[in-house]
Amino acid sequence: MALIEIKEVSKLFGFGDAATLALDEVSLAVEKGEFIAVMGPSGCGKSTLMNIIGTLDKPTYGSYLLDGRHASRFKSTRQARLRRDRIGFVFQSFNLLPRLNVLDNVALPLAYRGASTVRRRKQASDMLEVVGLREREYFYPGQLSQGQVQRVAIARALINKPSIIIADEPTGNLDSIDSRVVMELFSDIHRQGNTVLLVTHNPELTRYAARVIYMQDGRIIGDERTQIGDIAKGARVSHYRKHKKTDEDIVAGVSALMGKIPAKELQGQPKKTKSRGRKRALSRKSKK
Amino acid sequence: MFGSGDIKTAIASLRASRLRSLFTMLGIIIGVTSVVTIVSLGEGLKQQIGGQIKQLGSDVVSVRSGKLVSRGNSGDINSVNLLAFLSTSTLTNDDVDTIAKLSSVQAAVPINFVTSSAKGSAGSSDNLFVEGTTYQMADLLHQKIEFGDFFDQDTSDNNVAVIGSSVAHQLFGEINPVGQTVQIQGSDFIVHGVLAPTNGGLASVAETDFNSAVFIPQQAALDLTKGKSNILQILVKSKSDHLDQTVQDVHTALLKKHKSQEDFTVLKQTELLNIAGGTVGSVTRFISAIAAVSLLVGGVSIMDIMWVSVSERTREIGIRKAIGATNRQILNQFLIEGSLLSIVGGLIGIIVSLIINGLLRLYTGLEPAITVPIMILAVVISVAVGIIFSVAPALKAARKRPIDALRGE
Repeated sequence: MALIEIKEVSKLFGFGDAATLALDEVSLAVEKGEFIAVMGPSGCGKSTLMNIIGTLDKPTYGSYLLDGRHASRFKSTRQARLRRDRIGFVFQSFNLLPRLNVLDNVALPLAYRGASTVRRRKQASDMLEVVGLREREYFYPGQLSQGQVQRVAIARALINKPSIIIADEPTGNLDSIDSRVVMELFSDIHRQGNTVLLVTHNPELTRYAARVIYMQDGRIIGDERTQIGDIAKGARVSHYRKHKKTDEDIVAGVSALMGKIPAKELQGQPKKTKSRGRKRALSRKSKK
Repeated sequence: MFGSGDIKTAIASLRASRLRSLFTMLGIIIGVTSVVTIVSLGEGLKQQIGGQIKQLGSDVVSVRSGKLVSRGNSGDINSVNLLAFLSTSTLTNDDVDTIAKLSSVQAAVPINFVTSSAKGSAGSSDNLFVEGTTYQMADLLHQKIEFGDFFDQDTSDNNVAVIGSSVAHQLFGEINPVGQTVQIQGSDFIVHGVLAPTNGGLASVAETDFNSAVFIPQQAALDLTKGKSNILQILVKSKSDHLDQTVQDVHTALLKKHKSQEDFTVLKQTELLNIAGGTVGSVTRFISAIAAVSLLVGGVSIMDIMWVSVSERTREIGIRKAIGATNRQILNQFLIEGSLLSIVGGLIGIIVSLIINGLLRLYTGLEPAITVPIMILAVVISVAVGIIFSVAPALKAARKRPIDALRGE
């Protein structure tokens, strides 16, 4: 039995004429211990799929089974416990609480579990050691570099020893060096037998994955198994295919992928990443 | 349910917006301050009245001019007849004699109000009780005489006076003016004794503040007023502890003498206390109710701020939910924040009203008394206000769907 089983899941946003189909009868099975990279243009439904797997969102139609149980139909409290104990989230925008220091941020999931303050601090401190930030325990997120903040976020995701890590474009706001550090962390997590779901725009990052899923317009259009260490073939192909569609697609937001062809990525220009984010935001609006 | 960590988190987030928290608390602070101050003023007034009544012994019955109170069937006081306070005195010296002759009565003394003005060597005052009475007053007084003594049967033929402590200060500028002369309506009276100061005050149930009293012999008083008397009350000392019997005897005798017209009132000390205390109590309750409105406004302002806070922190709520906070835990977080605001506000309010009380004691004649029950009640009420008015915003926060909250919608 697969760890995660998505069966013909659809997700609708909005009502009536304004309704958009974010997921269109998607089916997917994920085995325990897989490292999956999910690729696709902005607005293709990658994040929606991840949110449903993480029980942050519910599918409109279809079923989602985690360990053979209908996780999407759990009551909110049970879903909260599931997120707390089984799933670790890493976001593109980090999502640390700015008012708490690094240690307390990492310890927060333990607090919701009811652990004592001393144990919480100790465990959080150990976890920060793993991501190499123990000496920054009492810093606030605003005092750290973005790469460090993301490592703190990863520590927080790992603190309750979840078996599934959902990372939604974790390197989207990072430069190439920080990206590499973060990806090595994910690689470590995977090697310890955890399941990692990674959403990315960057074909380079498919090196870390053993399986790459391509999505477009709410559907899975490709499912490729690759060797860890190799860039997935489809990643490049999908790029060039998008490229041919020209103007219309630029408006639609596929331009985001164009900014990330490997050659440019290797130069590591932080400005590019910024403008890419803005375009994505724009394109998301225009789509709605 | 609440861990220490929850409270720490709440403190942290309140500290993060210090000024806003302070403004939010202001409503509660003002509300608690006004309620506590007013209640303690009322409480202080009651104690002052109680203290004054204790200036006389508990075995003393007071006969008043006019039918001041109406009684129900059981003999309890139903209502107070205000107009009876305005009439001229219906009591006479004959009444005093009649009462004094009763078997259950040990002594009866008139309190004959002469004037309110007197002059001494160092100054004069127009706000005194110059009262004619008999030497037996000394037995009824529960108050120590600090210097000299009360006039007795022999000396009461002379022009002598026994004065209160503040009279000594006002007219002579010293605490022991025994032997000096006080001038009342042109006649000289020699100071024979000075009463020890009491915790007297403004409202006097005995219709006499002994601190500003000048007692002169009844005959001298009648001489001053050319035989006319204005007996405010007759104080009666009972022989036995059966006060009710004494009250009954006095009542029957006077009714006979007044030709069955009940234009007088026989009151026990405790009844006087109840009348005065009841009046002060109801006024206090009334003003407190008005002040409590500001508590309500304070509560609404807490709700307001919590509502804004929930909206502003939507993303934070989303993050917390994403990493495993249950609805209940989010609810608690905001409830704790709201009640923390109001507890701290309530405590500050109590401190402020303590300061106000101190200032009132220093600069006015009022003696407000804050009691522990009042303080506990204030804290309990402010906690209740905080929780009640935080419920709605906290529920809103708790029920947000995690994905909507994360998007900051």
